Amino acid sequence: MQQPIYYSRNEYIETDTGNKVSRKAIIAGPQNIILGGKTIISNGAIIRGDLRRTGSGHTVVISLGRYCLIGEGCIMRPPYKTYRGNFNYYPMKVGDHVHIGAGTVVEAATIGNNVEIGKNCVIGKFCIIKDCAKIEDNTILPPNTVVPALAIFRGSPGRFVEELSESTPERVEAMTKQYYNRFVPMQDQ
Amino acid sequence: MSAASLKIYCPCLNPNSLPPPPNLPSSSYSYHEIHDLYFCEECDSIRCNRCVSVEVSGYYCPNCLFEVPSASVRGEKNRCARNCFLCPSCKNTLIVVPSDPPESADGRISSINTLGDPPFFLYCSHCRWDSAEVGITFEKPTSLANQLQKYEDSAPDNLEFERLKEHFEPFIRASSASSSVTHHLHTAQHIHSNPITAAASDALSRDVPGVSKYNPLSRSRVGRDKANRDEMPEYRSRMDVSLTGSDSANVENLLRIESPEEIATLEQRWINSWTSSVLTNDLKPLRIPLHSKKSKRCPTCRHILIKPEQKPQSVRFKIKISATSYLPLMGISLPFLNNPTTAAYTAKRSIRPGAMWEEDKNSTPNNPVMVGGRTYPFVLSFTNPMYDPIQIRLNVLRSPLPTITTTAPTDELGTAPQPEKRRPPFAITLPTFTFSVAAFAEAWEYDDEDGDGMIEDEYADLVDDRRHASASSRTAPGRGGKTKTVGVLEKKANTTYIGGEVVIGKEAKGDIKFLMMVTFTYRNDTVDDMDIGEEDGDGDGSPVRTTNPQSSSLANANKQPEIRTFSYYVVVDLGKIAQKSGEGSVDERR
Ligand SMILES: [Zn+2]
Ligand SMILES: [Zn+2]
Ligand SMILES: [Zn+2]
Ligand SMILES: [Zn+2]
Repeated sequence: MQQPIYYSRNEYIETDTGNKVSRKAIIAGPQNIILGGKTIISNGAIIRGDLRRTGSGHTVVISLGRYCLIGEGCIMRPPYKTYRGNFNYYPMKVGDHVHIGAGTVVEAATIGNNVEIGKNCVIGKFCIIKDCAKIEDNTILPPNTVVPALAIFRGSPGRFVEELSESTPERVEAMTKQYYNRFVPMQDQ
Repeated sequence: MSAASLKIYCPCLNPNSLPPPPNLPSSSYSYHEIHDLYFCEECDSIRCNRCVSVEVSGYYCPNCLFEVPSASVRGEKNRCARNCFLCPSCKNTLIVVPSDPPESADGRISSINTLGDPPFFLYCSHCRWDSAEVGITFEKPTSLANQLQKYEDSAPDNLEFERLKEHFEPFIRASSASSSVTHHLHTAQHIHSNPITAAASDALSRDVPGVSKYNPLSRSRVGRDKANRDEMPEYRSRMDVSLTGSDSANVENLLRIESPEEIATLEQRWINSWTSSVLTNDLKPLRIPLHSKKSKRCPTCRHILIKPEQKPQSVRFKIKISATSYLPLMGISLPFLNNPTTAAYTAKRSIRPGAMWEEDKNSTPNNPVMVGGRTYPFVLSFTNPMYDPIQIRLNVLRSPLPTITTTAPTDELGTAPQPEKRRPPFAITLPTFTFSVAAFAEAWEYDDEDGDGMIEDEYADLVDDRRHASASSRTAPGRGGKTKTVGVLEKKANTTYIGGEVVIGKEAKGDIKFLMMVTFTYRNDTVDDMDIGEEDGDGDGSPVRTTNPQSSSLANANKQPEIRTFSYYVVVDLGKIAQKSGEGSVDERR
């Protein structure tokens, strides 16, 4: 039984490719953000597409894949560093079927496919999270942390806890699809 | 959110064993999520991580992600020999920084900067530990493990280990020939070890020829080997253990400290294999321990269940025989409990599945709970992964066990506890008839493309279903036959929804957990798939129980398809019974 998760119809904008973006989310620099389709950006989320590499022209700052969920109050901000004396932002790439819990701050460089990130986490600058990894609630990943595929990380600083089951790819894919299908507008009165 | 869950019992090589009482904490080791289980087609049996045999199929560093060839794992002492180090203080990964590192705006050193001036040192971006403070610096920012080799080689634990190895070498060489024979014997009977022991003993027996695999059954060997062992000369350690880490030095250190942080915590010193200084300043960076990829086999027939791809970060498997391809995927929900919006929604449609919920004082819209003395419906879903339809029957086990844990030690009358006279804390009603679940078809997959219509249908069927399914279902008692909660609620694609009901006793407490036997029958088109099943079948996780009809039809032409049955136990956890208001808080819910 798939219980619906209701939202008020006028609270979310649905795009042609099925992305659902809250009107109460802050999408800065939308021209620099790519959403893969069927991705949900919840209330209060902040996505900083405006923090782009210096220079002119079009550039992708943050890209999200299909069936992602950016939870309530999440902050997605591209990582930055000073290299050869020049301060710069670097792009952030997030794969398909990635769920990020409420209140989490993400400054990762790359997040693979089928990744679950819990609530109230801090994913530090230039972190690399490989496919099917899981970050538990309230975990702090310091900058440059590498999370291998199918690993669970927990704590502050986040450390390896154990390995996930071999069927995680299918499980997470089904879970994210189901979540998207359950996320429906409340019927009009 | 709902705490409801379903877990499957793995008999772990003991096919006739009954599952342990689900409400005992110790039983958690016997019940598993379906996603954590494997299925051996040869043995027609569920396998779990506690009973499969595990073999290491490759090593990699969890930080730099480089694959480490098995040949060099031993020489490198199972740790990364590149530039990967753990902070000795907080176990975060260290980064290499030059002297006078450029600080970023927030005051943290944020990147591995290979430019800059020597000396280089290791730095923790979490706790700010830095190796220069403990006197470790590097001339160049690469091959750090190499540069640290001199520290490692001269460490007392390392010297002692080398000495031990030297001591045992002659003995190992002498006995390696004879033990390679026993080694094979042991592989065959090596059945009962957990993955960690198995991996460790596999590695050990490969690398150290004289050491046989750990096997609880083979303790008797010790007697036979005793004579051999007596010939070994006595080992004398490099130094007297009682003299290392003398207390007087510690006392001196303690007298001088100014803050408790100067003493390393037990956790920080725990992984040292040698008595070491208690001072934080003496902690050394640690090379990162390697991780491994593992293959898994059926412990009985040795068929391979999991075989990972070589590439360290690949999440694909050459073989993956997951239980999800064989057993129906089950889901559970308490529709009027977890989702207040749903309750409002159904109320609006005046379905009213029982007037008893709506005035529940303990159950505020944001905090729905179950309380004693009431009846709640629940829904089980069964999704068929196979290309043939299946028939399922459920059988709730009415075990005497709830009386053990859920009743107070003395009842109101103060009579001696008599388990059989006590009323069970709750009663479960589920349909006892057989129901069908349609076959999996690739087309169902497209369902998620066309949106949300299904959700409404489910609730519409609560009413409509009565028309066409009345023969096989009944209405809940004391309900006036208005709506149906027990029976087949809906069939959609390859999923069937079954309604059940729990009646909670007035004084009941604790978890609502019950055991249920799930029996399903399916048609097996092959005469005997034991012979046809090839060892390394495709393991891409797709439904594979139905073998290829073309190949089997020739051999099978005159035979009727065989009907097969498979039974297994599932523990259903509906959540906690909340205490009634006035009796205490309702905090126990979680
Ligand atoms: Zn088992
Ligand atoms: Zn490494
Ligand atoms: Zn640290
Ligand atoms: Zn087997």
